[in-house]
Amino acid sequence: MSELPNNPAIEVRDVDFSYGKSIALKNINLSVARNEITAFIGPSGCGKSTLLRCFNRMNDFIPGARVSKGGIWIEGTEIHGPDVDGVELRRRIGMVFQKSNPFPRSIYENVSYGPRILGEKNKEVLDAIVEKSLRGAALWDEVKDRLSGSAYGLSGGQQQRLCIARTIAVDPAIILMDEPCSALDPIATARVEELILELKKNYTIVIVTHNMQQATRVSDRTAFFYLGELVEYDETGIIFSNPTQKRTEDYITGRFG
Amino acid sequence: MHSPHILRDYDQAIGALRAEVLAMAAHARHNLERAIRALLERNAELANAVIADDDEVDERERSIDKLGMDILVRFHPVATDLRLVVSSMKISMNLERISDHATNIAKRAKKFTDCRELTEVNLIEPIYTLADQLLRDAISAYSDRDAKLGASLHARDKDLDRMHMDATDTFGQRIEQTEGRSADYLHLILIVRSLERVGDLATNIGEDAVFLEVARDLRHASNREVDTGI
Repeated sequence: MSELPNNPAIEVRDVDFSYGKSIALKNINLSVARNEITAFIGPSGCGKSTLLRCFNRMNDFIPGARVSKGGIWIEGTEIHGPDVDGVELRRRIGMVFQKSNPFPRSIYENVSYGPRILGEKNKEVLDAIVEKSLRGAALWDEVKDRLSGSAYGLSGGQQQRLCIARTIAVDPAIILMDEPCSALDPIATARVEELILELKKNYTIVIVTHNMQQATRVSDRTAFFYLGELVEYDETGIIFSNPTQKRTEDYITGRFG
Repeated sequence: MHSPHILRDYDQAIGALRAEVLAMAAHARHNLERAIRALLERNAELANAVIADDDEVDERERSIDKLGMDILVRFHPVATDLRLVVSSMKISMNLERISDHATNIAKRAKKFTDCRELTEVNLIEPIYTLADQLLRDAISAYSDRDAKLGASLHARDKDLDRMHMDATDTFGQRIEQTEGRSADYLHLILIVRSLERVGDLATNIGEDAVFLEVARDLRHASNREVDTGI
């Protein structure tokens, strides 16, 4: 495997994860480099989304779900430590989901919601955050004249970019994306992918995708998971041109038993 | 051998591409064999058949390009499958050029049928035998996915280069020593040069076979010096 830089944004060491008695991840070791896009691929149920949700402790909300062995370090801090606040963790690690999920409010309120609940009340500051976030999500020019309009009036692709704007409004360090384009048409997908590539200048991004071409287009590194194991993790160009593991080759070429 | 693809169409398309390359290789090799036989046996009819059949090899090259493009567009192949498409299209280009050399040899062979026999024509046979061995092994390296055999061609092509130089020296001396047969010896020099080029093109095919199997690029001296682990 090609060398990862020192001081990774996320470091996973010897992690086992289980839902009750069912083991979903087995002995995962993986480092995510800063300001890179890392793709998680693998068949449904392989554990990729579970690992993604471990990074911001989203799994805490599922009864019986837990990291049963090992640890996860985000920017040097083990996230299961007693001093780590889950809410603060999720502010620093934003998440974009498969289906866009704007609040039933205006575009402005969707983006300003995060900063407001974190205590920001100054209208000028909020205005600035909304504009900056919408510009960062490549949506500003399309919505600047209808910020008070309902978020539901936007197209699917615009709604997904609104969710990305909402995510970056609270200034996270890492953005997790769980199949962010699976419900979008090819043009909207291309816009979101372009945005993802733009965002990596400022953020570390981990993306779960079932779309192999998407992984090759946007990611710097790709991790292939199968039956709860990390089978192979390397530069995306290597994974898709000359993987070392037969299971990886079989999966990406469509020869999966 | 790879497991079957989930899409049967995909396996069929990949299989058709591979089969077309092997058919083209057999055709190009057959053209070369007949061109040399036409020269050695002073058979103008056979030479004409080789010249006429070159169009079929050209058509196969177009067919392979189309099959390859269709696979790229429809299935977005990656890893080994992508390398198979890329290497097949490159190999077909080399095979087309080999068939062109067979045609050149056939055209020159026709000229020998009209003149007095020249004993030095027999010097061509061992050079052809080695060039054909290289070509046969290059095709086997592709069809059997034998990277070791593909990588061996470069060194063996050096032997062909030496035979080419020796034969060229010999024919050059004959031009100086023999009255009235300069044009015929010049034809022999150019025939040997075509065979030497066939060796180079077979080496290219061998390198494509290495790329197909182990994803290593052996082209150019600097890459060859690296330990390929083959």
